[in-house]
Amino acid sequence: MSPDSEPRVLVVDDHPIWRQGVAAGLEEAGCPVAGTAGDGAQALRVAAATRPGVVLLDLNLPDMSGAEVTRRLLAAHPGIRVLILSASGERQDVLDAMTAGATGYLVKSAQFSELLSAVRAVTAGEAVFTPGLAGLVLGEYRRLAAGGGTGPGAAAGAARDQAPARPRLTERETEVLRLVAKGMTYPEIAALLVLSPRTVQNHVQNTLIKLQLHNKAQLVRYALEQGIG
Amino acid sequence: MAEQMWRVVAVFRIVTLAYAAFLIIRDHGSYAHPAGGWLALAVMCVWTVVTVIAYARPAGRKPWLIGADVALAAALVLSTRLILTASQISAGAPTIPVSWAAASVLACAVAGGPAGGLAGAVVIVAADLVERQALPQSTFSNTVLVLIAGGVGGYVVQLGLRAEAAVDSAARREAAIAERERIARGIHDSVLQVLALVSARGRELGGQAAELARLAGEQESALRSLVSGASVGRPEGGLLDLASLLEPLGGPQVTVSCPAGTVLLAEPPARAVAAAAGEALDNVRRHAGPGARAWVLVEDDGAAVTVSVRDNGRGFAQGRLAEAAAAGRLGVAQSIEGRLRDVHGTACLTSSPGQGTEVELRVPRL
Repeated sequence: MSPDSEPRVLVVDDHPIWRQGVAAGLEEAGCPVAGTAGDGAQALRVAAATRPGVVLLDLNLPDMSGAEVTRRLLAAHPGIRVLILSASGERQDVLDAMTAGATGYLVKSAQFSELLSAVRAVTAGEAVFTPGLAGLVLGEYRRLAAGGGTGPGAAAGAARDQAPARPRLTERETEVLRLVAKGMTYPEIAALLVLSPRTVQNHVQNTLIKLQLHNKAQLVRYALEQGIG
Repeated sequence: MAEQMWRVVAVFRIVTLAYAAFLIIRDHGSYAHPAGGWLALAVMCVWTVVTVIAYARPAGRKPWLIGADVALAAALVLSTRLILTASQISAGAPTIPVSWAAASVLACAVAGGPAGGLAGAVVIVAADLVERQALPQSTFSNTVLVLIAGGVGGYVVQLGLRAEAAVDSAARREAAIAERERIARGIHDSVLQVLALVSARGRELGGQAAELARLAGEQESALRSLVSGASVGRPEGGLLDLASLLEPLGGPQVTVSCPAGTVLLAEPPARAVAAAAGEALDNVRRHAGPGARAWVLVEDDGAAVTVSVRDNGRGFAQGRLAEAAAAGRLGVAQSIEGRLRDVHGTACLTSSPGQGTEVELRVPRL
């Protein structure tokens, strides 16, 4: 990849040590840093000024939730990719941020090389899944299928569950997602199911996109019902 | 508590004043000095008003005022000798203040506990004895009653105050613990961040930094399980959250994946599944080979909860159970199966060489 096509990254984290460490690491690896921010409001301002390609977003910001920052970033810059990084993030917070439109999720204990390849993957629009995220997505589909009660912290939870069409997983998607959650890599899954790794990647990505569309539709529905639209 | 007791003292004083007034009004004709009777009644009325008002506020409960209260009551008891005729006194007629004098004893008890109550009672009893200069049966039982009222009243008040203080300090302690937990969460989050960073960057650098990274990684997962373990084992309505039981099993080599919400199970199956998953992970550590990683997946489809424990270790061929038994795996597998059977669940072990091993634990919701 030529330096020009490298994504410009905005690092958002309220811990200065982490922020500077990651920014320095990215620069060293030849990945230009567009800027850094310590809270959600600052992240929105810096994103508007510097137009980064990827936002590395910590979930524990002092002023707003990860889901809120993700939603606002995407509303202002539709092409932007959000990669969630979390240290001790609550599962519901992670899920909320992902359904709000984030493209990937990594735990902070991931190796730096994993972080770099994740940044490059989300730049290309590929979903970055961890086994933990696969478990969350599986759980969310089951909750929706069960007509589940509103999850804690779920955005516009009341409206969300009155959906006429709840998203469903195909059998193949369920199968693939379970294998991801059990720690198998895409090539391993592809070999086991006799698929191409690309197809596995598409299946995984579809599961997330369906949830995000559902979430967006629910928000629009809620807004219309409340007369906000 | 103390406030209620002071109100009781005030009510007692007013009621006994009415009784003393009734006796004085009824008997004053037979007194040696009826005017003295009226004067004593006036003094009691004024003093009742003064003390009821003064004792209503904590600031008004001065030791000297309570001392004066007792002294005045004793003086009124003694005044009986001047007001009544000698024959009335020797016939055992009631004293001028009658039981109004005991109000001051109660005041002492409320203010000073059993010791204060007894001290007040002794003064009034002494005045009583001086007034009568004899110890007839009725006086004797009155004496005992006043002493008991002083001592027991004081004791009850003290007990009540202590109970109140205990409840108060428990509430304070609880608030302090909640605050400490809140601060600890913030600190833990910062420490986790730094440990994660050291662990990630150290591994990139390699060499001695890699050793530091390994230590930081271990401490990170230890702290993480400590933090997430804080809420473990608190049943909600007899149900336990399986996710919060399993999450502490995660670490550098073990990833635990759960749904976002709670996975509630009755306590026995929740504990059985958590223990079985723990055993399966111990098995991975012992047999799957160095560097093997493991993944725990928790799924809840409403009718049943499924927990899968998979590793990427060396695995073994399904047909070679003897080898597995020799390696000590069979016993563990049987123990896991036993745990699940006890809660009407099933355990299923699959493995193939080079493909790792997977244990699937499934427990129905009954």
